[in-house]
Amino acid sequence: MFLSFISRQPVKNTTAKKPSPGTDPARPATAGEPLLEKSRLSCRHLDVFYGAKQALHDISIDFSGNQVTSLIGPSGCGKSTFLRCLNRMNETIDICRVSGEIKLDGEDINRPEVDVVLLRARVGMVFQKPNPFPKSIRENVAYGPRIHGLARHRDEIDMIVETSLTRAGLWDEVKDRLDEPGTGLSGGQQQRLCIARTIAVSPEVILMDEPCSALDPIATARIEDLIGELKENFTIIIVTHSMQQASRVSQRTAFFHLGHLVEVGSTEAVFTTPRHHLTEEYITGRFG
Amino acid sequence: MITTIFGGLLLAAAAAYITGRGKARRLSDQEKLHSRPVYHGAWTGLAGLLPALLLVCTWMAVEGPVVMRLTAAGLPESIGRMGPAATGLFFNDVRNLLTGAVGPGQVRPEAVAAAAAWRHYLRLGRSLLAGFAALAMAAGWGFAICRIKPSFPARDRVERIIRVILFLAAGVAVLTTVGILFSVLFEALHFFAKVPFSDFLFGLKWSPQTAIRSDQVGSSGAFGMIPVFAGTMLIAGIAMLVAVPLGLLSAIYLAEYARPRVRTVIKPLLEILAGIPTVVYGFFAALTVAPMIRDLGASLGLDVASESALATGLVMGIMIIPFISSLADDVISAVPRSLREGSLGLGATRSETIRRVVIPAALPGIVSGILLAVSRAVGETMIVVMAAGLSANLTANPLKAVTTVTVQIVTLLVGDQEFDSPKTLAAFALGLVLFVITLALNVIALQVVKKYREQYD
Ligand SMILES: Nc1ncnc2c1ncn2[C@@H]1O[C@H](COP(=O)(O)OP(=O)(O)OP(=O)(O)O)[C@@H](O)[C@H]1O
Ligand SMILES: [Mg+2]
Repeated sequence: MFLSFISRQPVKNTTAKKPSPGTDPARPATAGEPLLEKSRLSCRHLDVFYGAKQALHDISIDFSGNQVTSLIGPSGCGKSTFLRCLNRMNETIDICRVSGEIKLDGEDINRPEVDVVLLRARVGMVFQKPNPFPKSIRENVAYGPRIHGLARHRDEIDMIVETSLTRAGLWDEVKDRLDEPGTGLSGGQQQRLCIARTIAVSPEVILMDEPCSALDPIATARIEDLIGELKENFTIIIVTHSMQQASRVSQRTAFFHLGHLVEVGSTEAVFTTPRHHLTEEYITGRFG
Repeated sequence: MITTIFGGLLLAAAAAYITGRGKARRLSDQEKLHSRPVYHGAWTGLAGLLPALLLVCTWMAVEGPVVMRLTAAGLPESIGRMGPAATGLFFNDVRNLLTGAVGPGQVRPEAVAAAAAWRHYLRLGRSLLAGFAALAMAAGWGFAICRIKPSFPARDRVERIIRVILFLAAGVAVLTTVGILFSVLFEALHFFAKVPFSDFLFGLKWSPQTAIRSDQVGSSGAFGMIPVFAGTMLIAGIAMLVAVPLGLLSAIYLAEYARPRVRTVIKPLLEILAGIPTVVYGFFAALTVAPMIRDLGASLGLDVASESALATGLVMGIMIIPFISSLADDVISAVPRSLREGSLGLGATRSETIRRVVIPAALPGIVSGILLAVSRAVGETMIVVMAAGLSANLTANPLKAVTTVTVQIVTLLVGDQEFDSPKTLAAFALGLVLFVITLALNVIALQVVKKYREQYD
């Protein structure tokens, strides 16, 4: 790839929104195609503050269904913060304030009357470090269905456990030890258990925050295959630090920098013909 | 005098440090040293100081008896013939003279002479000690200086000495525990020589009043520990019924719900409860809570003893709340945030998360906290001495008065007692059982904590 050492001016994209009132006009707007015609999940003018510190600035982006979108960017740029807005996990942090509009299937998730319990059942999350509960493998998977009352009888639970573990590609490895503690599995197995736990409540969107960063290459490859299969049924948004992983698993890529959404586009476009100089510098490894 | 010796030794050790370091530095100009010069210095200092200190400490331990022997050897025959009791009194006079508690006019002249001799031997002993300590210091110092050469592993030696010192520090605590155990054990064995072990362990009657004169009637003493232990368990049980729920719930509130500002106010307030002297709890129980419960019972037509187990247990429970709450708060806060987020991220509510993930994960720690609190409740003395009864009723009715192990130990040992009657020795047997019970509780609790630690590492 040809590397330009001269900073290029950001290319104004045609579909970009107008800057909202009160925003800094000098700030570069998002390059590429952040907005889509048809989307499952859409954010508009999202600002997030931790106390007085602003972590995200006026983020607007759409996500379409049955597709994997990866979020990339240097450490501390706000990827996790953004992801956690999408299932209102930031509410669990006292000092965090979120403003702006996030719509799931046209419905604003931040309205007070939205039930956060149901929202999180629809928007599941897989975390960076595998965090199985200190319970048996079966109970880990059954946890979500139980709290949502999705299954009453033992055989219903067993069914959900089996299908979820199968879809997470873990069934064959654990089917004889469902009653052993989930914490006794290997790191990669634990992460697949966490994925099984998430899909057991049949969410529509799955958020993954660096799901492979604690895993070895083989376990990573398994999870990546799994993501490829899961995208048939789910909308997946994944944070990753690995550009290779982003290009392997995702169809769309969003690049964050210092709390700004710098560029969004098809993964291929972002990696081969980045429009913004920051994106280019990041993916060619000149910073980050 | 002793202070001077110590001061001199420390100064000499400092000087030894400097000479050792100096020599090593000079050597390091020519050749590479195994250890840095400070280690050579430290080793030289310690090599002088430790033998001298050992000498001083040994002398301090034996000084009293040795000086007394020497003094006694110089006394006129008449004193020696007085018999042990009178000799003891005589030496009491001597000691009082030495401390200035009595004047020379108030005791007999032999004692004045003995005091002078005592003083003489003391001074002599300490002068010799100073001399020998200085000698030991110098020997160690000189020896160390001679050993310093580039290849000398001073660093390893110093590390080893530090390890031994740390070990000794830990050993003091362990030895004290062992010492307590054995002293209690031996006295208890004396007791079991007079009262059969099974009578004590399974006896249902406790009335330790024995005849003091042989012509007294009716009190041969009964030493069955069951009623006393039942009383302890009843009061401790009531205390736990109060403390466990209140402590746990307040810990959950503090760890999970309280805003930081609220937490910084409430947590210290709760911990103040732990700082209140138990004697204050004692009179709170005896003067406020017990009458209140008695009156309340009376108004309900219940017959409540004025020293009811209920009142004592309630107040003891309040005292124990901070133990449970602060231990439980710690273990609940130690449950990784990622587990909570995992549960919340699946759509669990906060209380579901606490009930189904946080508490189960923290359970071993909570259990061990509770066990520690139980051993605290079982061993608690002051509150029960002030607020619980003395009569050993074997009952499970919390409105009756019961007595406890600690109360019995106190009453058996307070006052003028012969130390070889079953009555007083019984206290040691009770103490032994109490010791064993609390030890077992602590061991179990620590074991549980250990298992808990492994879970997250
Ligand atoms: N709980 C918090 N309290 C205060 N500030 C926070 C908190 N979480 C994140 N931040 C701040 O918000 C900014 C964005 O953090 P975020 O965790 O979203 O970054 P990230 O892109 O996920 O980084 P990484 O790649 O290292 O995970 C950072 O400057 C961070 O310091
Ligand atoms: Mg992150």
